[in-house]
Amino acid sequence: MTGLHSIQRWMHDALLFPGKVDGGTRESLLQASPNLPAEAGLAIYQRGYFLRIASCMREQFPALRHALGEPLFDDFVADYIRDRPPESHSLYDLGRRFADWIGERRPDRELPAARRKPWIDFMIDLARFERQAFVLFDAPGHEGKAFAGADTADDRLRLQPCFDLGAFDFPVAAYYHSVRREEPSPLPPAGRSFAALVRTDYVTRTVPLGEAQYLFLEAMAAGGGVEAGAEAAARRLGATAGSVLRSWHSSGDRQRWLDWGFFIAD
Amino acid sequence: MIADLPRLGLGLGLRSVHFAQILAERPAIAWFEAISENFMDSGGRPRAVIRQVAKHYPVVLHGVSLSIGSSDPLDLDYLARLKRLAEEVGPAWISDHLCWTGVMGLNSHDLLPLPLNEESLAHVASRVGQVQDFLQRPLILENPSSYVRFESSTMEEPEFLRRLAGETGCGLLLDVNNVYVSCFNAGTDPIDYIRAFPCESVVQMHLAGHQHRGTHIVDTHDRPVRAEVWELFRLAWALTGGASTLLEWDGDIPALADCHSELLKAREHMGGRSDPRPAAEAEPRGVEALSNPVGFLVPRVMDGNLLVEA
Repeated sequence: MTGLHSIQRWMHDALLFPGKVDGGTRESLLQASPNLPAEAGLAIYQRGYFLRIASCMREQFPALRHALGEPLFDDFVADYIRDRPPESHSLYDLGRRFADWIGERRPDRELPAARRKPWIDFMIDLARFERQAFVLFDAPGHEGKAFAGADTADDRLRLQPCFDLGAFDFPVAAYYHSVRREEPSPLPPAGRSFAALVRTDYVTRTVPLGEAQYLFLEAMAAGGGVEAGAEAAARRLGATAGSVLRSWHSSGDRQRWLDWGFFIAD
Repeated sequence: MIADLPRLGLGLGLRSVHFAQILAERPAIAWFEAISENFMDSGGRPRAVIRQVAKHYPVVLHGVSLSIGSSDPLDLDYLARLKRLAEEVGPAWISDHLCWTGVMGLNSHDLLPLPLNEESLAHVASRVGQVQDFLQRPLILENPSSYVRFESSTMEEPEFLRRLAGETGCGLLLDVNNVYVSCFNAGTDPIDYIRAFPCESVVQMHLAGHQHRGTHIVDTHDRPVRAEVWELFRLAWALTGGASTLLEWDGDIPALADCHSELLKAREHMGGRSDPRPAAEAEPRGVEALSNPVGFLVPRVMDGNLLVEA
């Protein structure tokens, strides 16, 4: 084995699967050094590969790391990058497939949903939320441009680009912020929760939502305007779109959403 | 032409923990080197910060993912993103490493060493040409720190880089710490390395700290520059005629003022007789630090996320 491609394939495999390296091949490819034998030199790259990625994953999923504890979190990361080795030049991409991977690898995946372990559902929800928050941190935003104001007509309101919504089976946003405040954070019981994530002035805010508010904003995120949002919320509430809109104005929700930077003017 | 590139003096690596202070105080630091991948995909604060920094300081873009030595095709999307960033911030130059970072469409996020022979030289030279044509500027390539060498290598790194620079017109980034690390690990002489290096092609130098493990050295960038590297720098400074010099600090990053103080120690090593063979003492045993740490590339998002009370 002398060609560049063959050597690179061998070395990359040696990083991914350190236990499968054939000693004879290693010694035939790598020079022995008086200070650092080939096996020890290769081991520095092998350790570094995992530790570097685990370090980045801990930064991307701090609440999940807290929930699992670092040793178990690192075990998950080791399995994850063996199944889904990094493909992108960007370390930001490392966590893109993590929540789905947990779902695909869960040991109770063959069981009916009602018999599955709730803490795994919680992990998946939390990983999804943390990924959303991480992506929003560096997504294209609306900083430096004008936002909608109180006098912007409803039919001109559109969601700003750095905005996302989540619907979860656990109160993961509350858990995430509890970890951030370094409060005792036991795993919460199941409970439907909804949240908006929005960034202004490079600060991301998590806004807890009710289901009707979520449906309102979900319809707008799908490309509709305020009217489509009101109709979606009305269907959930068994009300009319007109009454939802009046309530949206009178309750202060509209102004709060403007204040938090949800909207730009079309 | 690399001869037209400016001499920038003493600069620091631009790190997110220092962003706010740099923008607020505009400290008297000659220039900054930004990790290209921290900014090229950013639509958020990092991109806004580098635009601001570039208004007030010379900036150089230093990449870790070009993978110039990979047998995979060049990533044209990556190059396009890099070029867009360069058009925005106007860097004095763009650099990366003589290495490969992945193969078969996968990425190790490490700077992996190449066998140094005629095949790899032809391969890298061809790709350097493609990159320079794409970016419309000379590429500057750095000698990596390394922990293995290949049986199929037929030339030393200085010779490889001399021929590469000669064939392509690329410039070189001489990482003095990497020279010390690689030579110690290989059991070769760092002074011979520096003397054999094509110093006429050196556009920039790097300094950094490392962890000496007794049997080997790990390139950690997480502590001050060691005495033996400062002495090697004295020789490199003389041979390069005072190339632009930058301090890298990527793990356990101290306050900006402390990084700057460490950088300014370079002034004490810009002349005088070189004594580059001080006894290199191993550090107390303990946990081996991570080579080329990259945790600093990932932001602490939780710190900037507020919960709105319902």
